[in-house]
Amino acid sequence: MMPTCFRGLNSTHALIAGLAAGSVALLLQAGCQHSPVTSRAPVKLSFNEDVEPILAENCYGCHGPDPGSRKASLRLDRAEFAFVPHEKSGPAIVRYEPDKSPLVLRVESKLEKEMMPPPEAHKTLKPEEIGRLRRWVAEGAEYQEHWAFIPPVAKPPPAVTAAPAGSIRGPIDQFIIARLERANLNPSPEADRRSLVRRVTLDLTGLPPSPAEVDAFLADSSSGAYERVVDRLLASPRFGEHRAHYWLDYVRYADTHGIHFDNYRAIWPYRDYVIRAFNTNKPFDRFVREQLAGDLLPARTWDELAATGYIRCNLTTNEGGDIPEETYVNQTRDRVETFGVTFLGLTTGCAACHDHKFDPLTQRDFYRLAAYLNNTAEKPWDSNVADPSPVLRLPRDEDRAAAEVVLTRRAELQERLDARRALGRELVTAWLAGGHRPAPVSPEALELRLRLDEGQGDLVRNAAPAAAVKEFRADTNPLIWGENSWLWPSMRMDILSRIRLGGLGDVDAGDKFSAGGWLMLRLKPGNDSTGNGSLLSRMGDNRRRDGAGWEIYQEKLHFIVNLVPAAEATSASDAREPARTRPVARDGDSPYENADGRPERGISVATRDSFPRDEWLHVFFTYDGSRRAEGVKLYVNGERVDTEVVLDKLTATGSIRTDAVMQLGRRDDFQPMRETRFQDVRFYRRALTPEEAARLPFEDAAAEIVARQPDPSKWSRDEAFVVTDRWFLGGVDPEARKLAAAVAAHTGALDALGKDGDPTLIAVERATPAYADTLKRGDYYSRVERVGPGTPHFLPPPPPGAPDDRRGLADWLLAPEQPLFARVTVNRMWQEIFGTGLVETAGDFGVMGTKPSHPELLDWLAVRFRESGWDVKQFYRMLVTSATYRQSSAVTPDRLAQDPGNRLLSRGPRFRMDAEMLRDSALAVSGLLAEKVGGPPAKPYQPPDLWEEVAMPESNTRTYVPDHGEGLYRRSVYTFWKRGSMPPSMEAFDATSRESVCPRRVRTDTPLQAFVTMNDPQWFESARQLAQRALHAGSRTDDRLNFIARTTLCRELNPREAAVFRRSMDDFHAYFGTNPDAARETLTVGESRVDAALAPAELAEWTLVASQFLNLDEFLTK
Amino acid sequence: MPDIPPDPAAHPCSDHGGEHPTVLDLPHVPLSLKQEWLERETRRHFLARGSKALAWAGLATILGRSAPHLLADVAALPDRRPQFAPKAKRAIYLFMAGAPSQFETWDYKPKLSGMFAQNLPESVRGGQVLTGMTASQSALPIAPSFFKFARRGQSDRWVSELFPWTGKVVDELCVIRSLYTEAINHEPAILSITTGNMFPGKPSLGSWLAYGLGAINEELPTFVVMTSKIPVKTNVQALSNRLWSSGFLSPEYSAVALRSGSEPVLYLRDPKGVGRDVRRAMIAGVNELNRQLFEHVGDPEINTRIAQYEMAFRMQTSVPELTDFSDEPASTWDLYGPRAREPGTYAYNCLMARRLAERGVRFTQIFLRTWDNHTNLPANIRTMCEDSDQPTYGLITDLKRRGMLEDTLVIWGGEFGRTVYSQGRLQPDNYGRDHHPRCFSMWMCGAGTRPGISYGETDDFSYNIVKDPVHVRDLHATILHQFGFDHKKLTFKFQGLDQRLTGVLPARVIREILT
Repeated sequence: MMPTCFRGLNSTHALIAGLAAGSVALLLQAGCQHSPVTSRAPVKLSFNEDVEPILAENCYGCHGPDPGSRKASLRLDRAEFAFVPHEKSGPAIVRYEPDKSPLVLRVESKLEKEMMPPPEAHKTLKPEEIGRLRRWVAEGAEYQEHWAFIPPVAKPPPAVTAAPAGSIRGPIDQFIIARLERANLNPSPEADRRSLVRRVTLDLTGLPPSPAEVDAFLADSSSGAYERVVDRLLASPRFGEHRAHYWLDYVRYADTHGIHFDNYRAIWPYRDYVIRAFNTNKPFDRFVREQLAGDLLPARTWDELAATGYIRCNLTTNEGGDIPEETYVNQTRDRVETFGVTFLGLTTGCAACHDHKFDPLTQRDFYRLAAYLNNTAEKPWDSNVADPSPVLRLPRDEDRAAAEVVLTRRAELQERLDARRALGRELVTAWLAGGHRPAPVSPEALELRLRLDEGQGDLVRNAAPAAAVKEFRADTNPLIWGENSWLWPSMRMDILSRIRLGGLGDVDAGDKFSAGGWLMLRLKPGNDSTGNGSLLSRMGDNRRRDGAGWEIYQEKLHFIVNLVPAAEATSASDAREPARTRPVARDGDSPYENADGRPERGISVATRDSFPRDEWLHVFFTYDGSRRAEGVKLYVNGERVDTEVVLDKLTATGSIRTDAVMQLGRRDDFQPMRETRFQDVRFYRRALTPEEAARLPFEDAAAEIVARQPDPSKWSRDEAFVVTDRWFLGGVDPEARKLAAAVAAHTGALDALGKDGDPTLIAVERATPAYADTLKRGDYYSRVERVGPGTPHFLPPPPPGAPDDRRGLADWLLAPEQPLFARVTVNRMWQEIFGTGLVETAGDFGVMGTKPSHPELLDWLAVRFRESGWDVKQFYRMLVTSATYRQSSAVTPDRLAQDPGNRLLSRGPRFRMDAEMLRDSALAVSGLLAEKVGGPPAKPYQPPDLWEEVAMPESNTRTYVPDHGEGLYRRSVYTFWKRGSMPPSMEAFDATSRESVCPRRVRTDTPLQAFVTMNDPQWFESARQLAQRALHAGSRTDDRLNFIARTTLCRELNPREAAVFRRSMDDFHAYFGTNPDAARETLTVGESRVDAALAPAELAEWTLVASQFLNLDEFLTK
Repeated sequence: MPDIPPDPAAHPCSDHGGEHPTVLDLPHVPLSLKQEWLERETRRHFLARGSKALAWAGLATILGRSAPHLLADVAALPDRRPQFAPKAKRAIYLFMAGAPSQFETWDYKPKLSGMFAQNLPESVRGGQVLTGMTASQSALPIAPSFFKFARRGQSDRWVSELFPWTGKVVDELCVIRSLYTEAINHEPAILSITTGNMFPGKPSLGSWLAYGLGAINEELPTFVVMTSKIPVKTNVQALSNRLWSSGFLSPEYSAVALRSGSEPVLYLRDPKGVGRDVRRAMIAGVNELNRQLFEHVGDPEINTRIAQYEMAFRMQTSVPELTDFSDEPASTWDLYGPRAREPGTYAYNCLMARRLAERGVRFTQIFLRTWDNHTNLPANIRTMCEDSDQPTYGLITDLKRRGMLEDTLVIWGGEFGRTVYSQGRLQPDNYGRDHHPRCFSMWMCGAGTRPGISYGETDDFSYNIVKDPVHVRDLHATILHQFGFDHKKLTFKFQGLDQRLTGVLPARVIREILT
């Protein structure tokens, strides 16, 4: 498919096509460093293949995309900058004129002052590289778009001449053999059938074939026998389990939160979702869409919701001192980095702090991506619980059918609501055109209006039209702006911030007044509360008229309006000198007299209900000057709330006047309601009517916006959110309100149905518009610019109509013109099977990544995969049925010399298996493997005290208690993965702690691995069980040896090998014969049953033999 | 090498097509040539993989110790070896996780004694964001140290009464009082100081050293960590494997956690009933079979595996020798104190660190993780110091006696400092301190650090640095420098960048503290 919307595509694409037609060999050879250069007629150098690697490695650090580190304003990574005349010396590159091109002259210079790269860069160009730059300039210095940013095009597989018989079974083989031919290499012959069935079974299921499966294959000489084996394996439930262990690395799945307590996290249903997706051959686009945006689709099935666990796989913390915004920013950063590596093959992390040094990804690009991924409802900390919300609770079986119906209905309603929302601006436009207007609240007697939308600094304005005092200065700690958004980006008081509002709010008990505003009580991890405190007040301590004054107070998430008079004197001297004085500003100090924390004078009216933290609430009260508690009315979000009269003891003469100043967020200078966010805080010297109080949260703001800008198409995102979303759809439009209520009712029903079900973490989009802030040097405290969601500027834009949320992000990824996603995906699948990707740096397709060894094959696979409908099983089938895959993996000296890393695929894949495959193979051949699919994580054997050594004493993953029975023998994909202390036998074999994204594991070979396979009880018990099976399989030594050989290696032993085993057995026999106690001890390893009918010495001896088999390179290697 | 010609036909299932016989398959080729081919291919393979500490060792084993040509080739690999003559051959890092208070330890602040319970002046705090833990208090009352200080040693420096033993070797110590970090909470701070970055996934200091230096002793890991038994029940800080992981470097550069108890290295011990002779026979058989496989398959990885099994067998002997303290003379116990006999204690780990250093382990990190004194600081820190003071002294003294302090760098310290104001209720004899990133104290000694000096100064409240600030990056640059590395040149290509421990921001070697 020819892409149409890629910038500059036509020219670069034509260039590539032209080059490819004439010089495939050169292009490809440069991509594979190990290949010898075969002499060919000289063709023009290619920027991508020959030049960019030199520039990227040596020049882009100072002359690349990052303006922060750019020297001499010179940028060499793109044509539009490279030829621009330069300050002093004209352009750096003059086409066709190397001797006039400073680029060439400077790299050729030997003068320390002139030479490039400069000596302090510690980089030296090779003469050959300098020559290449000179030649490239002489040839016209043509630039190309970086190969991976050009959409893949499937070219026909190359014609291959003289390929050995049987070496071509399909297009893959044509690409591979064409490349081998250019290196003068022949493919290897097909592997023998036993090796083949072992290899493909391991690759598709992660387990070795049983002897019966091997025999069946050997016995089937009809055509298509191999393909039938492949189809059987693809249909096995083991297929999904095996694929999942790779995928879980790409998404960094684990069973604990990761930081501090590192407690258990309930998210295994997501892991089961992944397994199920592979087993049911869910199309890969669907698989990705569900994980990125299942909640927004909206979800019709549990799987679509559970899939969004992907979004929640990041590390979380609950460390007491944690600063939530810092953690939130860091978590988003990790999410973007993981997303970038897994779905784009781009190393985006650098751009969190500055524009990427090598790739064109800007910091703004990074935060635009972040805006897609950070607008979810969970908190950045985990409260140390397994199920920090939002969670999905899977209903129990008996409720599942009912719940599915509710879920489907909810999705239908949600879709209608989404459709209504999508029409929002049109609807409100029509409504306004009909002459309707939102009604403002009269500014009469409005003395204070702190919009708190300044966005920076310490000065806050009083926006009341008739304000006596126009501005106030916050002191003692800076105000924190922009962390959150509501009517506009928010303001937060820090622990010690103070906003003194001077003489405002000076009222007495007989006056009418009203006050309140938008606020968000903020909770921090590790703290059950941030204490109680005053939200808005004019009230002093006991030295100021006994604490007289008025306030809105927060206590245990109830809002309380207090009107406290000075103590009424029985005599004049008492009035001057209060009976009881206390020092100022001691923590916990309160004017409340008695133990339950209530004032004993005046009026105190409290909400009956408590309200949530971390949500925006409009809290407002009116007072009618009646000196009666019933004269106080409390409103939350514009609605009158049920209240309890705590105190109704204001006398006719009691005075609440005070010389304390009015304050936001505290009393006089104590009782701070710390860390609260505020917006649009008001004080009226009149009692607002209930209708007015109802209009305050949104309608008044909407009226203001509409009055200022009647044309809805010109509203900002924030303005549209207030007018359209909050006010019109949320408050006016009956259809939207009805639908929203119905959705909420269905959600309630689902919650009820899943009440006792297994929880799993999911993503839920917030109601507010998505945004992120670009951060100076990535510092959460240095917000520079607010940006909305968007995709990197140098890649094709999202398809028309793609929503501005995670759905849109998925649409963009999956669009045919997206150049990276399909390539990156098929490359990883290739890597799983062949050990190394066609692009070796599976997580980096950027400028600094390695070039593909077979670029045309990669593109062909990418297009093929997409055009197959993203058919995963079909794709793996295509790989493993290729002749390339089926080659023998034996290697000869010349092959090793010419293709040491097997990048040209001149032989079949051969490498040590992943940790999971190894353990599972040992369990499988022993007969111990439990085949149960899914469920809570299993805890197999683990040496004692490993968790204790690192865990907090308070952690619920402090002590590892192994399972008994089945849990010991389940597949490794189910093993409990604690991030702070990962399964040790997995770690020994290079599994990762799943703390950060891992697109490919390193493969090491260490003595510690030998300890695992020789001594880990899991392995030694497997050897014993395998020995028991062998002892039952025959009575002759050779039969028993061959039984084990067939089980573990899928073949029988040759005489030389059998001789080695016999020699070993002589030693074992002698030892256990004379040490019967040792023999019995040997059999005590592991929980599984010892066959009492067998002689201990003989079983011990055979256990050692079986252990030898399990330690053979051949067993450990695919 | 067996000299029996292999018989592919008798090996029906080898993954071998028979069309391309290796040199080893040819009966007429002399054994010496086969051997040479094997060596050459193996070497080439290793070089292609990049040199690896453990792999070298294994290779040397296969080829015999007299393989200078091989090691010469390895030396010719891309340069990441020491760039100049190192002062340190090895380091022992006493990691005081949880962050010990500088007020009670190494930053004596006599003026505070007159300011008990006064509020910290806002001018000193300077609008700093505090942690969530002091969110519940509206005052920041100054808590002077409960402990006395006295001048000790020829260097005449103030030493806390909590360090009666370490005070004896104060003349060996170079105390830095002006360290600072950006991170105000444990997890990011501890990652910063162990890996140079507050996000997970980066290699630890020890991994960088293992990567750069390789092993001295092939039979022991290059980088070892030990966690210490917890002497108090509260104020315990979390650790995790990421503090000593190799990040994006190959996992072989991760620390090997040396554990107390009968199995110091995971799975080192043979299963019950399996004697050494049995193990030897078992491995001999496995390796012989692997050699036969190599003849057929020709994959050099097989030879690596053979080497690793030999190494594993030898480690099964060398590690228990390492952990068997019966060869220690009585004087050892006088030095380290009686708790050194109890496996897993900090004292035991200090003695073990010396034994590891003697045997050539490059980098040993001992974690003691109960310094997070938000509450009950005086009582807790007293216990902590009683637990750790003498062993620390013992380690320094022992290294010095053995002449090892000259090339062994010893480092003591945590991840950040603590606040001058009390967290929670302040009493003269009881208080707590919150996290404080703006200044904290550490000390180093040995391996070319200047003994008997103090470096850097903080204000009267140990709240801000007033002289010679040392960022964590500077500390790392200085440690690498002592091992002969320019911190800008010890790099590893990852995500397209020449990654390094000190990252991209400026870092400097603190030459003033070096001899």
